[in-house]
Parts: sequence; C-alpha cells; structure tokens
Amino acid sequence: MTLLRLISWPYFRRHVLRTLLTVAGIVLGVAVFVGMHTANHTVLDGFSRTVDRIAGKTEIQVTAGETGFDEEILDKVQSASTVRVAVPVIEAVVDTNAIDHGGQGNLLILGIDMTGDRSLRDYDLESGEDAVIDDPLVFLAQPDSLMLSKEFADKNHITVGSRLPLGTAEGEKPFTVRGVMKSSALTSAFGGNLAVMDIYAAQKMFGRGRTFDRIDLAVRPGRTIAECERELQTMLGPGFQVEPPSGRGQQFEAMLAAYSMMVNISSAFALFIGMFIIYNSFAIAVTQRRSEIGILRALGATRRQIRWLFLGESAVTGLIGSIGGVVFGVVIARGIAASIGTLISDVYGQTQSTTEALATDPRLLGVALVIGILTSLVAAAIPARNAARVDPVQALQKGKYQVLSAGESRLRAMLAAVLGAIALVCLVAPPLTSASRQAGGARALFYLGFSLVIVVALLLSPLLSLGLAKALRPLLTRLRPVEGVLAADSLIQAPRRTSASVAALMLSLTLVVAFAGMARASYDSIINWMQTALNPDLFVMPSQSIVVRTIRFPPSVGPDIAAIPGVERVQTVRDARIVFRKTPIMLVAIEVASMAQTAQRVPVAGNADQMYRRAGAGEGLIVSDNLALLQHLSLGEMLEIPAPNGLVRLPIVGIIVDFSDQQGTIFVDRRQFLKYWGDDSVNVVRVYLKPGVQMPDVRQRILERFAGQRQVFVLTNAELKAYILRVTDQWFGLTSIQIAVAVLVAILGIVNTLTVSITDRRRELGVLQAVGGLQGQIRRTIWLEALSIAVIGLTLGFVLGAINLYYILQIVQYDIGGMRLDYEFPYPTMLALVPVMLAAAFVAAIWPAESAVRGSLVEALEYE
Amino acid sequence: MSKQRLWPRRHENTKKNGVHVLPFHFIFFFFVCFAPSWPTGLQSSLIAADNARQIVEEAQKRTDAKSQRYEGVLQVFDSKGKIADKRWTFERLGSHGQSKVVLRFTAPAEVKGVAMLIVNHPDRASDQWMWTPAIERDRRIALQDRSTRFFGTDFSFEDLEERDVNQYDYTLAAGDDATVDGAACWKIQSTPKESKSSQYTKSIVWVRKDDYAFARIENYVKDQVVRRMAYSDIQNVQGIWTARQLEMADLRRGSRTRLTLEKLEYNVPLKDEDFTLQAIRRQ
Repeated sequence: MTLLRLISWPYFRRHVLRTLLTVAGIVLGVAVFVGMHTANHTVLDGFSRTVDRIAGKTEIQVTAGETGFDEEILDKVQSASTVRVAVPVIEAVVDTNAIDHGGQGNLLILGIDMTGDRSLRDYDLESGEDAVIDDPLVFLAQPDSLMLSKEFADKNHITVGSRLPLGTAEGEKPFTVRGVMKSSALTSAFGGNLAVMDIYAAQKMFGRGRTFDRIDLAVRPGRTIAECERELQTMLGPGFQVEPPSGRGQQFEAMLAAYSMMVNISSAFALFIGMFIIYNSFAIAVTQRRSEIGILRALGATRRQIRWLFLGESAVTGLIGSIGGVVFGVVIARGIAASIGTLISDVYGQTQSTTEALATDPRLLGVALVIGILTSLVAAAIPARNAARVDPVQALQKGKYQVLSAGESRLRAMLAAVLGAIALVCLVAPPLTSASRQAGGARALFYLGFSLVIVVALLLSPLLSLGLAKALRPLLTRLRPVEGVLAADSLIQAPRRTSASVAALMLSLTLVVAFAGMARASYDSIINWMQTALNPDLFVMPSQSIVVRTIRFPPSVGPDIAAIPGVERVQTVRDARIVFRKTPIMLVAIEVASMAQTAQRVPVAGNADQMYRRAGAGEGLIVSDNLALLQHLSLGEMLEIPAPNGLVRLPIVGIIVDFSDQQGTIFVDRRQFLKYWGDDSVNVVRVYLKPGVQMPDVRQRILERFAGQRQVFVLTNAELKAYILRVTDQWFGLTSIQIAVAVLVAILGIVNTLTVSITDRRRELGVLQAVGGLQGQIRRTIWLEALSIAVIGLTLGFVLGAINLYYILQIVQYDIGGMRLDYEFPYPTMLALVPVMLAAAFVAAIWPAESAVRGSLVEALEYE
Repeated sequence: MSKQRLWPRRHENTKKNGVHVLPFHFIFFFFVCFAPSWPTGLQSSLIAADNARQIVEEAQKRTDAKSQRYEGVLQVFDSKGKIADKRWTFERLGSHGQSKVVLRFTAPAEVKGVAMLIVNHPDRASDQWMWTPAIERDRRIALQDRSTRFFGTDFSFEDLEERDVNQYDYTLAAGDDATVDGAACWKIQSTPKESKSSQYTKSIVWVRKDDYAFARIENYVKDQVVRRMAYSDIQNVQGIWTARQLEMADLRRGSRTRLTLEKLEYNVPLKDEDFTLQAIRRQ
C-alpha cells in the first residue's frame, strides 16, 4: 500500500492521459459486457415479467404452441379433478393510433372471459359509469369494449368513453374505452401498454375463429401443481404444453439462443480486447519505469514486492475501469435493449415493450466488476513478472529499453508452433461428419482448436509485427526517405511496444471479419432462397409485419382473392411456432401440390418430385436444412409432432434450404394441418398474377375488395424481399457495433502506443530537432508510425479474421442457426475498413505528434 | 294436523327417491315465492333441528309452479348513490332442480338482446349459456369461482345457484329479533356441510310464520355479515306468496341491488323448444 502511494500514485499523476487510456481499455471491455448482457436480460426479463404479470395467480398454463386450440378444450380442462379454476386467454399486440407521447403505439390486448377471470387476475376499474365499472354485461354485450391500463390511458390522455382506433382483422375499428384499470401488477405488464377485452370479441376482431391461445388455471386446494400437470397432460395428450407460466419465458429464451450466443461472443471479445489494451499499457509502463524499478531494487525492494506493486496497480486500475465500465454499460444498455427489442419484434414477431425498466442485475454488475479486475490482473501478470525480473544494474543504464530477446522470441515461436499443431489436430482429427458432430467430445475439440488458433495468433503477434514492420520499411523509405525510416525503425526497435496494440487491433478486426463474412454469406444464401421460395407477385397479409401472427385471415380470403380479375393463382399459408423436442420451431402449412408447380425447390436431401408428391399426399413432411442440422434429422426419419388433435407421425420426405426461422422449419400440407391442428386460419396469401396484368391494378383491386371489411396489407415481391433484407440488416447490426469497437480500439491502442513511443524517444526526437529536423518532419514521422501500426493491425486482423470466419461459419452451422453458409471473405467491408482504420490511426496520432513537436528541447536533451 | 303429517311423509318420499334436491332454485328467483301461513299451533313444536329443515322444505314446496314469467327491473345502487338500471324478461319452465330458465335483457340499449339460458340439474351445478347478439356468439358460462358477482349486481353466482338441501344443516336459531317488518319469523341457521364448498360460513334465514315466505337472509363469512337480502312487497300471485321486491346489499362494498318484479305470472304456457341454445339465438 505504501509503495502504491509513494511510487504508483506519482507515476499515474505524471501520466494522466496514459492512465486514462489504460482505464478506458477496461471501461470498454466491461461496458460492452455489461451493456450487452443487461440489454439482453432486460429484454428477457421484460418478456418474463409481462408473462408473470399477466399470469397473476395462474399456476399452470395450457398451450399448443402458437396455433391455439379449439374452445372445447376448455370444458375438458375445467372438468379435471385437480383444477380449481380455468379461464381462456387470447393475446394480440396491435398498433394503435393513440396520441403517442412516449412512442408507445403498440398495445397488448388481453382477451379474457370476464365471468371467471378475476379469480386469477386482479383488476378493477377506476372510473366510468358504475354500471360499466363492475358490470361485465355491457362489456360483454358490446364487442367494441376495451379496458385500458391507467398507465396507457394517462400517457395518451384517454378517458372513459373515449374512442380508440385499433387495427383488427376487420380493418381499423374504433373501440370504446369502457374502463380504466387501477394500477396493479397486471396493468404494468408490457410496460403498462395493456388493454383487456372480451375473449369472444377478441376472437372475432383478431380472426381467431373458435380457438383460444391458452388456458390459465389454478390448482384445486389440497392438490399439487405436479398432480395437476400430470392429470392435464394425460387428459390432453402430447400436443399440449402444460407448464407453469415461467415455461413461456424459457421458450422465449430458447428462441433467442442464437442472438444470445452472438452477444456472448461479442462480450468475450470486448473483454479480450480490453485485456490487450491493459497489457500494452503495463508492458510499456514496466519498460518506462525500468530505472525506477532498478532504484527500488537497489534500495532493497524484493522481486515479490515489485510484482505485487504492479499487480496492485493493475487491480486498482481494473477496479476504477470496471466501475466506469459498469456505469457506461448501464448507460448504453438502454439503447442496445431498444435495438434488440426492435430486432426481436421484426425477426421473431414478439413485440417487446420498450418502456420496461432496465434489468440491472446486481449479480451481473458484481460479476462484471470481478471480471474487469481479473482481466486487468491477468493482463498485467506478464508485465509484473517482467518488472520483478528487472536487473537493477542494467535498469540503471540509460537508453537500454526495448529489446525483444532472441530467447523469448524463440520460446514464443516454439510454443506457437506446438499449439498450432494441436489446433490443426483438433480441426482435422474429428471430421465434422454428422455422426461425429453429435458427440459432445468432438465439439469440445473443435472449440479447443478454435481457441488455440487465437492464442497462437496472439503469441506470434510480436514476431509478426516485427516482420511486417521490417517489410514496411522499404515502402516507408520510398514514401518519405527520412520520416519513413525513422518511423519504421521505431517500430522495429520496439516490437513489444507495438505488438499489444497490434494484437488488440487484430482481435477487433478478426471479429469484424467474422461478423461481416457471416453477414455476407447469409445475405447471399437468403437472396438465393428468396429467389426460389418467394416468387409470387403479391403477398396479402392481415398484418403489416410478416412475422406478426396475432391477426389472421379466415380461409375464405383465399377464394375471395382468387376471384379478383387478373389473379391467376393463390396459395394460402399458415405459419405458427410450435414446440418440437422442447425447442420452439416454425410449422408452415402450405398447399404443397400448388407450391410444387410454382416454386420448385431443389432439396439438399431427397428427390424433388417424390418430396412434393408425398408431402402433398400427406405421406410425409419437408424439413428445413437448419432444423435437420440442429436436431440431427435425416431423410426418411420418422418424425413425431405432437398436435392438439393427436400425434402427427410422418417421415421426412425432403430437406430443403429455408430461412423462415432460425430454429428450423417443418412444412406440412395444409390438409394435414387442418386435420391435426384444427386451425383453418391464414397468415399469408401468395398471389400469382396472369401474364400481362398490371400489378398495381390488381393490388388496388385486392385492397378495394376488402375495404371496410378486413385489414389487408398487400406487399409486392420486391417489397417483401426488401423487408426480409432489412430484417437481416438488423440482425447483423451487431457488425456495426463491432466495427465501432474496432475503431475505438484502434484509436485507444495507437494513442497509447504513440504516447509511449514519443516519451521513449524524447531524446532521439530532441536530437533530431537540435540537428535541424523540422517540426513537420517530426509530425510526419509520428503519423507514419501510427499508419504503420494500423497497416500491421489490418494485415494481421484480416489474416486471423479469415481463419476465424471459417470457425464462426462452422459454429453457425452446427451450434447456432444450422445455416449452411458458403465461405466468402467479406472484401467490400474489409476494403471499407482500410481507410476507416487508417483515418482512425491518423486521428489518434495528431495529439501525440503535436506533443512531440511542442516538447521542451532542453528537457529532451537533458540526457546528453 | 294434516300439516304435521305432511312433513314426515315428504321427508320419507325424498329419501326413497334417493335424491334430496330442494333447490333454492336460482335463489333470488326462488325467494320471490313463499308458502301460505302455518297453523299457529304448529309453531311451538318446530324447535328441533329437523323441523328447521322441514320449514325450509315447506317454504320451497309452496313456491311450486310449472312455469313462471315476469319482467324484472334491476337497479344497482353503488356506494356513492349512483343508480344503474337494467330490465329483463324472465321465463322459467319446470321447477325443483329440473327447470330451464331464459333471461333476456331488454334495456338499456347496450345490453338489449343479451340472453341467458340456464338449465338446472338435480344432481349437479346448472349449465349456463349466454348469447351476445352483437358478435352473434353464445358462450358457456363456467361458474368456477362462485363468489364472482353476477354481472355487476350485488348477487354472487353462488347466490343464484340452486341448492341441494342435503348439503346444508339447518337449526332454528333463537333470537329476540325474529320479526321482520312486523311479521313474526322463524330464524333458521343454514350451515354448509363439509362436503359443500361455499364462500359463506353460514346463512341466517328469516321465514315468515304466517305464510312461509322468506323475509330476510343474512350471509356470513366467519362471524361477519357480508350480504343481506331483504324481501318486501309480498303479494299472493295465483296462490303463491311472492315478494315483488328483493334487495341484496353487499355490506363490504356498501352497494345494493334491487330487483322489482312486474307482470308476474305463474303456470303460463311455455314451450320446451324455447329453452334451447338455438331458441335464444333466434330471438
């Protein structure tokens, strides 16, 4: 402690900027970790909280995926001996044209049966006519009745009796606010944007026919939840999920698994990058303070004390940086959460409330603090060890700075070679066959190999930096004979000073390459898929979003559209998320025979003709390639899909590439779907036009046909594809965050390196100026040094990124999305990054360059 | 004396049938009727628990009618004095646990056309459906939580259920205030048996001694009266003593609901086919 106060504190005070930069490394890593995890938790918690608040006293919920089930199931459930009370529920998120003060246009509509619902949910009306307040009769009698949460009513200045327009299956309808619910746990669900309406009116308004989304129930006193679950599961069969409300949260979490994985990878990289910034700072600090260490050692300080001095410094730096990172992370979490919310809404159709409070989990913040400090300690461990090994005699000799010893270099190279060989063995030893990849051990080896590749790259970064710096020397010499040589020599003489910055930059770019490569491959695959699978001229939908399935068409819409002049063919599609092997996947009911004629898709396994013929005859199922990969399914395998009306037991007759859902898709013929799910509603009508017909005319006719009767959105083929690509853009929005982080890392690392470089070379720069060197030459030297670091970082980053991309595509294929993506190096992004990184390097060099030319010449020449 | 002989015989008969269903038949509808007065000499002998039960049975017997029709005015007075009115027509076919009821709201405009069909069963809870013309939907009303209020009135669904007399124990409660509106009454305590689930711990029923009409019912939760039903304007309609006005007060909420019976008729010709789901959808 005394050493920290007497030795470290004055050093920090003398080098405020560098200290701040070091702390910034930790701030960056911890902030990304905290920000991304807090945002992720906020979204997941928001969903779970909404589920819990709506569930009220519900102990068990009965669902059948998104398809819902027939009303008659309610009678069965109510008759169960373990059930005290069971009430049906419909949920729909609708857009409202309410006066929108907080950007809160979406409203969660809860359709309930008010005759029994209040035994599970606690709500009361605050104002309104007495006959309306506690009299559900008027509420039930008028299908336009709506009860709003006090939160939503206040926010939008809505009072009892107001009319509120809502988008329904029958078009936009004015609803009458017949009550305002007092604030309670229920009304705060979905960020307070909640409304209650009669369930039977909701069925009509949202095109649900005679189905319910789920049944909420409470267990009879004296019976256990487990008993009730068993009874209901036996009674209803495997087509129903009988589980506590928390089960829905788990399903939601499972749906977001791919996104969570990406968040985790990003967080880990951010921390890793932060670690290198700290390593860089401490390595430089040790080098700079060699004489100070030498004096301490000469005065009797032990190696142990020196090591602990530096570790202590790093712990304090880590603590301060972590606190800053936690604060900054919480600040940025709101923005990230909003972005994730939009993504989830657009990709999964699960509209999220954006008004939920941030889920700042104290445990996560605690973990972040610990991780920040540990990262700092780990990063400082090698510099601290080096500091402890400083020889006092050598240290007190002026001018003996950075030398990468040949022994150290050899050791690193040997270690890298050994680890590289192991990585190669891990990669090739268990070939990624379908059989071997099922073995957990093979995946562990794969991940070990992946980690070792990164470690090898880091070990080799000083050597590679040195090599690249030497390679750059002729170029720099040709560019600027004096400044170029000086810049190159500075890098060559002090590779350790440069290598950590380069390593941090390399890691950042590695991640950027991986994300950009994945994005590019995904775009290409998605575009290919869209060209074959999405070839109708028009898509008619009941909702503006293709992923929102809470409002649906009745089956009659198909023939109605088919009868419109100019329409050659229509295909009705019903898609719904179901639970298959405990994973939420997409079930798509299609008119297989018709699809076979219009959108012939080449299966990756199976024969196209047989696939369509058998699936169309109800003799088989078609599954997506990603489902087959994630669930280890193969052609001909018998699938068992639990449905409300029984177990669907059909073989896989074809596997096709499909990007409808990240967790996978099963295609079933519409007749089979009707038979087993009893759901005749329609999500999308695919419309093919007659040759020569004007598309805008038909579009207009469709809109006119349903005007005033039904809410209809007509998208052209191009609009739908643009929508999908926009959603894909959002999904890969993380790439832009990564690029931002990479730029920040570049700036931080280069500023740090150059600051030290100038301090180290103060004497050299002083002599240069003394013998007639111009300020402009000094500036250019520093600039060239910065640009060289960026070039080296870019080169190594691209190389490691290219390797990393291979691994990431493997992970995406086998562990995340089951997407079989082609390897494509993201040249456009990388080319765009070159000027960005060079500009960042130049910006980073401005201040150090000015500092170098404005430094005191006398002070610089003191050494002489 | 004939009355004294009548009770044991009736008791035996019901035992023989094996079904002791003496429904409180949608209780407030049931309570609009009450039996003719008893001979005074009988009163002093009816002090045992069994006799308390016989009083209830007799009260119910005197309301027997093949059918019933009236137009009801329902007024809900909230704690602030605000009044909400509704009107309905009520038709009942059959009695004593095997009746069918159609209740059709006629006012206000928001609820006009809403109809309810209630099919009572002797051995289980009634089935109830509701027809909502605006969405052209009928729905089954599942009375799982019987303490729920009946569409904003001060009656709970349990108050409206037909009750199996065997599921309650009856005792004559001695008390000084066994007089309601100047009429001498028996004060009978009805307690649900263990097998019977009820929101109420017990009920105290006042039965007028002169005509067996119910005069008042107080429903208790633990030792606190939570709902009180008062019967007034008792008239003899076609030989059946009937309260033309019933008022249920919810003492916890401070609100009350008054039902006034207009154009009351018994034994009117009603068709069985008018008491079906199809029928309530038609009209």
